[in-house]
Amino acid sequence: MAEEEDDPGFEEDTEDGGNGIDSGHGKRKRLFSKELRCMMYGFGDDQNPYTESVDILEDLVIEFITEMTHKAMSIGRQGRVQVEDIVFLIRKDPRKFARVKDLLTMNEELKKARKAFDEANYGS
Amino acid sequence: MADPARVKPETGFSETSTPAQRSKQSEGSGDGPVSGSTSSKPTAVQTNTKEDKTKSAEHTAAGEEEEEGSSSLHPPPAKKLKVEQDKKKEKRHKVDEDEIQKMQVLVSSFSEEQLNRYEMYRRAAFPKAAIKRLIQSITGSSVSQNVVIAMSGISKVFAGEIVEEALDVCEKWGDTPPLQPKHMREAVRRLKSREQIPNTKHKRILFH
Repeated sequence: MAEEEDDPGFEEDTEDGGNGIDSGHGKRKRLFSKELRCMMYGFGDDQNPYTESVDILEDLVIEFITEMTHKAMSIGRQGRVQVEDIVFLIRKDPRKFARVKDLLTMNEELKKARKAFDEANYGS
Repeated sequence: MADPARVKPETGFSETSTPAQRSKQSEGSGDGPVSGSTSSKPTAVQTNTKEDKTKSAEHTAAGEEEEEGSSSLHPPPAKKLKVEQDKKKEKRHKVDEDEIQKMQVLVSSFSEEQLNRYEMYRRAAFPKAAIKRLIQSITGSSVSQNVVIAMSGISKVFAGEIVEEALDVCEKWGDTPPLQPKHMREAVRRLKSREQIPNTKHKRILFH
């Protein structure tokens, strides 16, 4: 059922995303296997996605995070990753931009609500 | 646990806030029903009071608006600006409430399988600790919590884009769901051509 991968021993990251991504990070321990499975089901895949597909997706996500981190380090304050840099890098992509704005706004509101809750408790 | 089908209007806000809350609480476990249920109750209480505050603020804003309109013919520009901002806030609240109601109508008509999938869609999140470790191993210095929140959020959207594209490819090629690596690779190729996948490895020389 599952398709065999090309070049199993090929370690280098080449331009052809397929080759590099399949086998490039074979040695590293899988960081997000469980969460990615649930996520793939949520996004429309089968309830039990193939392990190879989950691996490919994990490598892609790690590469994405790595690229974003490197880019964020090179703009704004050099050598540091700050939220403003991430928001700036994402500005052209409407979905991601809206999601980051939502998350950060919600985080602020939750912090305020928790603080108010704690202060109410402290008073009584 | 907050069953999406039984969400009441007051807790509509808490449902949208739980992803942020959940993604902070769950570490390492993709869907932790125990941690989810214990954290949702205090959130619901707090966000209830928060939403009551915003609702009452909305009413006072509407009341103020009426008074100002009837009292003077030419309100000074400062007042006009404030009135416009209040109108915009009202519109945004109404749009939010509309959207929340529509979502509730939709979710209440889901089948069992759709409910499961929707629950997974909302609950699945990357573990904060692992993301933080990954970013810190790249930067070499520590990063703030907001960065971790932002990064895990956009990574989830990124994963979603790939899976959706792969499902399109799968359907186009006449295959059935469990996604195969060939679908994923074709999806990556398509997204790359649309420049939705960042790639700083290939340097293109403009004027050769």
